[in-house]
Amino acid sequence: MEQGANVDEVGFAPDDVSNIIKESIDSVLQNQQYSEQKVSQWTSACLEGCMKRLTSLNKPYKYVVTCIIMQKTGAGLHTAASCYWDNTTDGSRTVRWENKTMYCITTVFGLAL
Amino acid sequence: MASPAVAPAPGPVLASEHPLGPAFANKFKPARARQIIAEVLRSKLTGAAYNADNTSTWTREIADEIKQKLKSEDWPRYKFAVQVFIGEQRGEGCRMACRCFWDSETDSYAFESFKNESIFCTAAAFASYIY
Repeated sequence: MEQGANVDEVGFAPDDVSNIIKESIDSVLQNQQYSEQKVSQWTSACLEGCMKRLTSLNKPYKYVVTCIIMQKTGAGLHTAASCYWDNTTDGSRTVRWENKTMYCITTVFGLAL
Repeated sequence: MASPAVAPAPGPVLASEHPLGPAFANKFKPARARQIIAEVLRSKLTGAAYNADNTSTWTREIADEIKQKLKSEDWPRYKFAVQVFIGEQRGEGCRMACRCFWDSETDSYAFESFKNESIFCTAAAFASYIY
């Protein structure tokens, strides 16, 4: 923190988090077809990758990351979140990712300490 | 002339006066939270059929209702995040998972799912303690 930390660097940075989520999903699901056997591995890998990158931001935050992977069959999927927290410090980010065979929705909640 | 009253020197501060975590009675109870979620899902979704227009509203209503109920429990100094997924039941494969980076002594989560012939719903509530 010696190199002139400012307020922006301390807070929840939604854009950084979006990029982190996208990178994590891309690294796991790129060029994959939905497969029942692999999906649990993918959700884990995706979450672990995401969490590793988030913690390496070294911010005083607790993180909750959820990931849902659904096969594409034309079925609908809706999601909503409702939070009770400090709006000035905490935030959440959801990224929707899809390819020909599946959807992946990953949400990060950042809760300041 | 009477000497002014001298305040007694403050004694050592006890850890119990400045607790670092919630007392057991005020701790988030996943089993109770799960019950709350199950009640909300059952009351909102029993007999519901998938409809692309309504479902978005349902997810929002359910998430809000669960949050309100969690707030009314005796869990002070907790932050809550509630996430709800509703999907159409068409025999597709679906998997949800979560990872949490927090203090497992104080923080916890609860989830519950609901299914009928037309929809499936999963709701998860995460509670994080403010020190």
